[in-house]
Amino acid sequence: MQGPARIAEGLLTDAARPLGFRFDGQRMQGVAGDTLASALLANGRRLVGRSFKYHRPRGIVTAGPEEPCALVDVIGAGGREPNHLATTLALYQDLVAESQNRWPSLGFDVMALNDRIARFIPAGFYYKTFMAPGWAWEPLYEPLIRHAAGLGRLDAIVGEHAALAETVHDHADVLVVGAGVAGLTAAHRLGASGLRVVLAEQDTVLGGGALLDARWAEWRETTCDALAGLPRVHCLARTTVLGAYGHGVFAALETLAGADAANLGRLRERLRIIRARRVIFATGAIERLIAFPGNDLPGVMLAGAALGYLRRYGVAVGRQPAFFLNTDQAYESVFALAGAGIERVGVIDVRSGSLAAERARVLGIEVHEGVVVEAVIGRGAVGGVRVANRDGSQRREFEADSLLISGGYCPATALASQLGAALKWQDAIAAFTPELAPAAGRVAGAARGVFGLAAAARNGEAAARVIGAELGHASLAAGLELALPPDAEATPIGALWEVQARGKAFVDLQNDVTAADVRLAQLEGYEHVEHMKRYTTHGMATDQGRIGGLVGSAVLAQARGLPLAEVGQPKARPYAQPVPLAALAGSEVRQHLKPKRRLPLHDWHEAAGASFVTTGLWLRPLVYSRQSGWQPVLREARAVRTSVGVTDVSTLGKIDVQGPDAAKFLDFIYANTFSTLAVGRSRYGIMLREDGMLLDDGTTSRLAQQHFLVTTTTANAAAVLEHIEFHLQAVCPQFDVLLSDVGDQWAQFAIAGPRSREVVTALVADLDLSGQAFPFMAASAATIAGVAGRVFRISFSGELAYELAVPARHGLQVWLAVLAAGRPFGIRPYGLDALNTLRIEKGHVTGAEMNGNTSADDLGFGRMLKPQADFIGRELSQRAGLHAPDRLQLVGVRPVNRKRRLRNGAHLVAAKARTVSLGYVTSSTPSTELEGWVGLALLEGGRHCRVQRLLASSPVHNEATEVEIVSPHMIDPENVRVRA
Amino acid sequence: MPGNASGLHLDTSASDIVEIAALRGRAPDVARIALERGVQLPALGRAVAAADHLALCVRPERWLILTPPASVGASAAAWQSACVGLGAVLDLSSALSTLEFSGSQAREVLVRSCRIDLDAQAFPVGTACATIMAQVAVILVALGSGLLLLTPASTARHFHEWLLAAARPLGFEPPSQRNDAAASDDAVGCGDKPS
Repeated sequence: MQGPARIAEGLLTDAARPLGFRFDGQRMQGVAGDTLASALLANGRRLVGRSFKYHRPRGIVTAGPEEPCALVDVIGAGGREPNHLATTLALYQDLVAESQNRWPSLGFDVMALNDRIARFIPAGFYYKTFMAPGWAWEPLYEPLIRHAAGLGRLDAIVGEHAALAETVHDHADVLVVGAGVAGLTAAHRLGASGLRVVLAEQDTVLGGGALLDARWAEWRETTCDALAGLPRVHCLARTTVLGAYGHGVFAALETLAGADAANLGRLRERLRIIRARRVIFATGAIERLIAFPGNDLPGVMLAGAALGYLRRYGVAVGRQPAFFLNTDQAYESVFALAGAGIERVGVIDVRSGSLAAERARVLGIEVHEGVVVEAVIGRGAVGGVRVANRDGSQRREFEADSLLISGGYCPATALASQLGAALKWQDAIAAFTPELAPAAGRVAGAARGVFGLAAAARNGEAAARVIGAELGHASLAAGLELALPPDAEATPIGALWEVQARGKAFVDLQNDVTAADVRLAQLEGYEHVEHMKRYTTHGMATDQGRIGGLVGSAVLAQARGLPLAEVGQPKARPYAQPVPLAALAGSEVRQHLKPKRRLPLHDWHEAAGASFVTTGLWLRPLVYSRQSGWQPVLREARAVRTSVGVTDVSTLGKIDVQGPDAAKFLDFIYANTFSTLAVGRSRYGIMLREDGMLLDDGTTSRLAQQHFLVTTTTANAAAVLEHIEFHLQAVCPQFDVLLSDVGDQWAQFAIAGPRSREVVTALVADLDLSGQAFPFMAASAATIAGVAGRVFRISFSGELAYELAVPARHGLQVWLAVLAAGRPFGIRPYGLDALNTLRIEKGHVTGAEMNGNTSADDLGFGRMLKPQADFIGRELSQRAGLHAPDRLQLVGVRPVNRKRRLRNGAHLVAAKARTVSLGYVTSSTPSTELEGWVGLALLEGGRHCRVQRLLASSPVHNEATEVEIVSPHMIDPENVRVRA
Repeated sequence: MPGNASGLHLDTSASDIVEIAALRGRAPDVARIALERGVQLPALGRAVAAADHLALCVRPERWLILTPPASVGASAAAWQSACVGLGAVLDLSSALSTLEFSGSQAREVLVRSCRIDLDAQAFPVGTACATIMAQVAVILVALGSGLLLLTPASTARHFHEWLLAAARPLGFEPPSQRNDAAASDDAVGCGDKPS
């Protein structure tokens, strides 16, 4: 009997519940509790994928999230998703998985040729080869590289049926990362003392190392039960902490699976943002590989993984395993396999005379000491090993069906590093440990190099005491007082990073980086560990080089002739584990992607057949017709020019400004003056940014001596409020002014057209609306259709017009009254398109012209800037550059041939120099009264070059229309109508 | 009023809302006048519920007073005449939509976007705060009966939809579309269509 098989019941598996699944089309069976990896091994499967660069056959290497090789595509209802880790993917009924990076099949892969030509594609091959000639990049190199790049294939279903994610915000006194013995102890002590604890564990069950040692079973169960009974402790399994961001903010990914799935529907993962006052990193240590030729062959696995598969899933990874190791801790796997009835176990120990070797011999296990594995024998899978002394002498071969290696253990330092922990070299364990500033948190257990479960428990308790004291619990509540099974006395590690011999010795199994590649990087000048990383791609794969990272550094250190402590490791950054983008997006996708602001009368507009357009966050009626083209728009706009129309302008920003200093403050905010405005009057105003450019415009009304109402454009409402708030609080704190956003309080309707006075008069009983009593730019409180509101005589269309404002709750009532009052005059509701038509003809600007690059002067507002007093933007508005004669200035444009149309964005060019842009069309529309199209444009020195003819050129439409430059005020230039 | 076995309950009945902001140095006077009118103005971050009103404070020297709906602006007008020269009084009844969310799992739903610690010990009854949820400004108040949420009226429907979606995995049945519209204060029927 050879190869892996299930030999017993595992801690997590339930033999009574078989689960069928398919791998590469082959039907197999696992049991509930399996991962895909354990089920594959139980089915005797060793080959599970092909490597990234050389397409070498690869097997399962680890039993956890650090897995470099066993990546699979999972095909399900959600489509095809690549790069699932077989070692963490919980098996479910009818799971369909496929191996990656092979064609046509896993057994025979054409690209495996790369392995034979490896000497021609060394590290940095891409950088060296795909440099020149430049023209070859697009047609040749990029397609080539794209074809070869990546693992697996993404073919995900999007839209309604896609799996969902959500975000949850958690708060805790203490976040404990890792539920091994140290983490469990710390969480229990802190939780029992009444502190609020979040315990996050990436595994599906709590326990860490305690799961792998039968002596700790009772301790684990008792502790977990006790934790479950603590109301302020929140234990999160399957939750990987991805990032530590300072100020106590952490991100964690919770994978939802199994029993929850039915309740959660399509919800598949949950991003947890955890805010904690303190953190304890009990993240454990990760076993590392040894670089030697053939260390990637299927059947080569980490020794700890073999222990994991046996204890957790009852799977023996081989029936004739050879161990290659350098620590006493790794012998736990040896003893476990031997104890489970695997008879032909052999050990190759780098060291001589270790305590563990002695214990092994007592058990009748064959141990070869002071030797190393020089080569793995076998094609496609492990068949045996060649062993030699460290100097290469006394070669001999042994038969074996698996090779279980262990090069020692590296504390998992990534999260602590993210919080700024320095890495300190520890000779005793031949690894770096994190030195975390106490203010940032604590590191406990194996994560700080404390190996042995009992030692970790004591260390976790010590961390809990310190943290407890910092949080005001000088003495913690009593612990569980459980006996800790003693740690075995251990002989120190015999550090071994690489066995140099003929053949590829990998330091990064996922990115196919060999020890030779690292040496090449050093030879070519990429000596710093960060440079070596980027040159070779060592540690840059999805597994982030967890099991070989330090080995690569060690090879580099040896090449440079420096101690490893000095060479160090590349800096760890978030995310500590790959995270699906969907999880980061959370629930704010599709209709929840960004807020929609709806008008108080949204439903009315919708029922009236409006098509909507999104401006800023607002949904605004564009035109009350589903018919395309300009006819419906012109119908609406002409109603305004000839009779009367009504439009919903509730989207305008409205800011209530009150207080003794309100007028002074507005004088400072606006470029023009408001302190001279009479009560009951409105004034058009412009405000500048600090840099002198135009920020926004709108009308401001004086409702009382110390009470103003500022209106802003729809698009800038939030920005202007923020701008004003900032200047009140930070720049003019001396002013006694109260600001309030009343934008949503008021529904506001513009009633425009020569008959508008008659309509408004019918609605407002308590106000004399005659031209004399209520002239252009008058403002007053009034009762409108029985509702207390305000009337403003302001106009954006250029026609006689009024704006009625009422509390939004009563908007519909008033709107319907307006329509009823206007019916004799054929009143029409008009949308944003018609509103635009009207304002373009009139030469009124909006965001298209006030686009952040224009100054007041550019748009013809130069004379509004008050010469005497100070205001925001005054200094910089006087920059010479803002007054250069060749600046883009506002003009009107009309096609010379009235039958031709204009296009927004068309460039204005001279007929003789068509590639030199002199400006561009900002807005355009067919006119209501003039023949053909009219437009507004920004033109170099535009104010002084009227009557000139230019071409409006739109190369994307293959159009060049001859246009004449005219005044932007194309309709009623004397402004007679608004004063009617 | 939708609700079900999830133990969640959503109530969107409207309130009259008045904002009172004190001019510089006038907060004590405003508080005194309020007291005369039977309203105790709370400290920043607090809310005081009485039989006929709720007063809350999430901005310095600025209060919101919620009362059952009456005639348009009546409450604001009464406060305005009482506070002349002391501060600004505004009717925000239409500006903010109220939503009371209750049940044992209500906080469980809100933590799906709320960054404020809503644990009963950290956010006990009588606490108020302003925050952002689902990208929308929200004022949150812990009442004895549940959590009161105030959101700008224009984004109320968006927020409502997000809330229902977030509550669904916890077993909350979304109400029918008709209930939804009726519940939303700013939603209106379609009486008169344009000719």
